[in-house]
Amino acid sequence: MNQATKTFTKFNPKAYFTLIKSSIMEYMQYRMSVVVMLFGNMMYLIIIYNLWKAIYASVDTPTVNGMTFTDTMIYLVLASAQFSFMEAYLVWEMGRGIQNGDIVIQLIKPMSYEMYQLFIIAGGNFFNFVVTFIPTFFIVQIVTDWAIPMGINLLYYLAAVLLGSMINFAVDYFVGTICLYTHSIWGINIMKEILVTFLSGATVPLAFFPEVLYRIVMFLPFHAIYNTPLTLLIHNDLPVAEVGRMLLTQLVWVVVMFAAARGFWKVSEKVITVNGG
Amino acid sequence: MSKVRFYFRIYLKILSQDIKSRMSYRSDFIISMIGMIFTNAAELAAFYIMFQNFNSVCGWTYYEMLFLYGFSLVALTPMQCLFENNWNLSGYVRRGDFIKYCFRPVNVFFYYISEIFDVKGLGQLAMGIGTLVYSWIKLELPVTPLLLLELLVALASASLFFIGIMNFAAAVCFYLINTGFLIGTVSKFRDYAKYPVTIFNKGFRFLFTFIIPIAFIAYYPSLVIMRPTEIPLLTWLAPAFGVLFFYASYKFWMYGASKYSGTGS
Repeated sequence: MNQATKTFTKFNPKAYFTLIKSSIMEYMQYRMSVVVMLFGNMMYLIIIYNLWKAIYASVDTPTVNGMTFTDTMIYLVLASAQFSFMEAYLVWEMGRGIQNGDIVIQLIKPMSYEMYQLFIIAGGNFFNFVVTFIPTFFIVQIVTDWAIPMGINLLYYLAAVLLGSMINFAVDYFVGTICLYTHSIWGINIMKEILVTFLSGATVPLAFFPEVLYRIVMFLPFHAIYNTPLTLLIHNDLPVAEVGRMLLTQLVWVVVMFAAARGFWKVSEKVITVNGG
Repeated sequence: MSKVRFYFRIYLKILSQDIKSRMSYRSDFIISMIGMIFTNAAELAAFYIMFQNFNSVCGWTYYEMLFLYGFSLVALTPMQCLFENNWNLSGYVRRGDFIKYCFRPVNVFFYYISEIFDVKGLGQLAMGIGTLVYSWIKLELPVTPLLLLELLVALASASLFFIGIMNFAAAVCFYLINTGFLIGTVSKFRDYAKYPVTIFNKGFRFLFTFIIPIAFIAYYPSLVIMRPTEIPLLTWLAPAFGVLFFYASYKFWMYGASKYSGTGS
């Protein structure tokens, strides 16, 4: 491990770039899955559109909690599209690696396991972002008659989504480490998925949450994964100071979550017991 | 008749083996169970939050929506518990391990499906029954033997539809290689089953009734109990349709399996 840590401290962009590239190439092989994923997103779009149209039709006011029908729909559809490009099944990957012993191969590589996974996942995220999120974004734009402003907010979104996916990775890495102890994957992963999507506002927009719950949620890191990027994307009338505050909050969470995940992994690394050693 | 008894006996034997092996991973079992209950609790919380802001959806009240949700949870349980192995099919086929199922003197579909019993589905069943009973009381629906019988038939036919959908999604891997992701996407349809189909316009209503029949997982069958004065024809046809749909998916699965030729290794 010492050896690995030493090599890893020498920042080696070429190695990381190779990882990103190889994971993109792996994804390219599954072209069918992209089509199905897009189809899944479209189905979700149809359902959400009709559901919320029916919901808004049953109230008299056009806005509820400051959200119009279009706002809500854009928010939910993009949250789901963001979920599908961010979800890289790291908890599964780590859990399986622990169960079948493959993790050992990665541990002896001259790069920390964390960095290895980070760049593999970065490649996958990037690929899925381009082939599923961007098309979904344009379909939403066409359906809603270009409701999302095309200005500086797009840049804010890119910055925020980058930070958000880093927080997401750190959460995944932390949760994946739990698998070292429990040897259970499905249960741990589903709990993570539900916690993250629910508390980040991907299931129901945070604006609809009751006051108390909303305050609690804002103290947790999850809102920075979905709510912050999407808020920055949809609203282009936010003052710069507010944008700065939101991005800074994200940055703080990136640091905190990475420190937590790394610390937890360091402590837990010693308990790895693999099939047949 | 003796054939049915024979299959039943084998089923219990295979099942008990699976449960025994699962029980040796006790912490996994407990965590999975908690995870399942967690999932449903979060969905209920989402419902609750939504109805804090809105009183009704398209003329459906909070408790009616809860009833649909509880109904769909119970109806999805047989797939979750008994047909769970469909999820692994594409992996077995790609790696070539599927061949082992072809050498047994029993029905391939039967043998493959009975291999796994997913215990955590029982957590979902418990949540579903709880939600159903709660909304039943709140809706002040009567409790009569006839109504309970109707409920059972409605639940059974709803289950057949979802199992059928998943059979189709899983069996695609016999025809096209590497379609493991398909079942994940298709299983998400279950989340849409809990909404009344009346929220859609005519075109989508047709789509979700006749092409991807998710409207039969909760909406049509549960009308028989929830709104007995306005039962559409499709509700009465649901049990027959369910059996036909399941049979078609079974044939599609079996035909694919008969074409299976291994990986050549």
